[in-house]
Amino acid sequence: MKTAASPVVRQFGTCAAIALLAAMPAIAAAGSPINKRTAADPAGTVEISNTAGSVVVTGWDRNEVEIKGELGDGTEKLEFTKNEQAKLTRIKVILPNRSYGVDDTDLVVKVPAGSTLSVNAVSADIVVRGVGGTQRLQTVSGDVRTEASGEDIECRTVSGDVSIVGSGRKGLVSITTVSGDATATQIAGEINGHTVSGTFSFGAGETSRSRLRSTSGDISFAGQLAPDARIDFENISGDVKLDLKGPVAADFDVSTLNGEIRNCFGPKPSRTDEYAPGRELRFAEGTGSGRVRVKTLNGDIGLCRK
Amino acid sequence: MGSNEREAGAGDRLDAALQALPPGIDPGRDLWPGIAARLEQAPVTASRRPPAWLLQAAAAVVLIAGSSLLTAKLLDGDRAAGKMAEVAPIAGSTPGADGIATMPASFGPAGRMDPEYVAARRQLTSVLESRMARLPASTRAKLESNLAELRRAADEINAALAEQPGDPLLEELLLKTYQDELAVLANVNQLTSSLANAAASPGDAKRMEL
Repeated sequence: MKTAASPVVRQFGTCAAIALLAAMPAIAAAGSPINKRTAADPAGTVEISNTAGSVVVTGWDRNEVEIKGELGDGTEKLEFTKNEQAKLTRIKVILPNRSYGVDDTDLVVKVPAGSTLSVNAVSADIVVRGVGGTQRLQTVSGDVRTEASGEDIECRTVSGDVSIVGSGRKGLVSITTVSGDATATQIAGEINGHTVSGTFSFGAGETSRSRLRSTSGDISFAGQLAPDARIDFENISGDVKLDLKGPVAADFDVSTLNGEIRNCFGPKPSRTDEYAPGRELRFAEGTGSGRVRVKTLNGDIGLCRK
Repeated sequence: MGSNEREAGAGDRLDAALQALPPGIDPGRDLWPGIAARLEQAPVTASRRPPAWLLQAAAAVVLIAGSSLLTAKLLDGDRAAGKMAEVAPIAGSTPGADGIATMPASFGPAGRMDPEYVAARRQLTSVLESRMARLPASTRAKLESNLAELRRAADEINAALAEQPGDPLLEELLLKTYQDELAVLANVNQLTSSLANAAASPGDAKRMEL
């Protein structure tokens, strides 16, 4: 049965429609595409902050920073600022105080290839290609994918995964996750990582320093030791697998309380105590001054030549 | 036959049996090389493993430094973000030259942690808890389970240390697990500070809006 609306209801409906029309420009502005550009120093710094969505950064050969993409519905604004003296370009997605129901923002940013890059996100994924400067990439639950060119790279997440493809050039790579997995290939130099339950899988060239720690995630490292390499891996209940390429010249100090030790280099592990658990393995391979330390509580340890 | 005579007879038989035994038994193989090798190894082993008290003292020093640095890092991060968390001062904390509080901590065996270490952990946790509500639910759940994982690991190592007090491997792993827990708390606090920092930053005279 169809009933006629009362005058009060009709009046309220009219007011609501007017209010909605008045709000239309603001809503359209929030959902509008982004297309901004500014001159930038070829070796300047670019800082990007986005809460949710994605940040894709590509290095190019122009001395300009360009932003494209789409601002999420409900976003307050996009801050795009420059500090000439500090050679700093800042891109920041600003959310309203009550940010519930705000759509994701996707940023596609082009920066001078030699830029130093800093990206902060919460759930946004971060993808970086062709940026040759130092990178500092942080996201809470988003994933991080980047390329290493020899400059320092620091990636930090809570649950997001990290993936780095290197160029074989030496640099410093630091990865910290809580539960996120991390993979890195063709990296070299110094490689540090820390996780609680994430799985680390690294393929490296010549490595001079590496310190990897985990609580329950497995650590797998394949690489070549520099002559004075310092390798230090620790795990509580996860396994550690170390595959060494090329000539190996180092002192090995390996011990575990409850895990097994498998060694392809020859010497066998011995019990640390006749009446208590614990195994250790100490031996020297080659004549170099490298040092390899691996310690676990329950995790198995594998040492092999690849 | 009286009891004295019976005892004398048994003594004579025992004497005779003892005299019938060979004066010595040669070992099946020469044991001296093995004993000599172990004697030579003994000083090496002793120097490789310093006394347990020294390791514990060293561990305590490292833990104090580590926890102080991590707390300083967290507090610096918050200051930089302009969102300094209001937290109660830690009892017994000593302000350093730069105003950063240092937290004495001890390396307690069998799961007993220094109360001030617990206070530092509580401080970091309380800052984090205020931010965790704004994290995605799945991330929050993962974070909570991983913090629990770290605490389980510490409990397990402590239990093993109770069985093997002074074990250098266990002491090293325990120290690093405590450090890891503080590092995770500080790291997540720093990462999630961007949540509290999502509002517009204050104006900068040298900055130009594009």
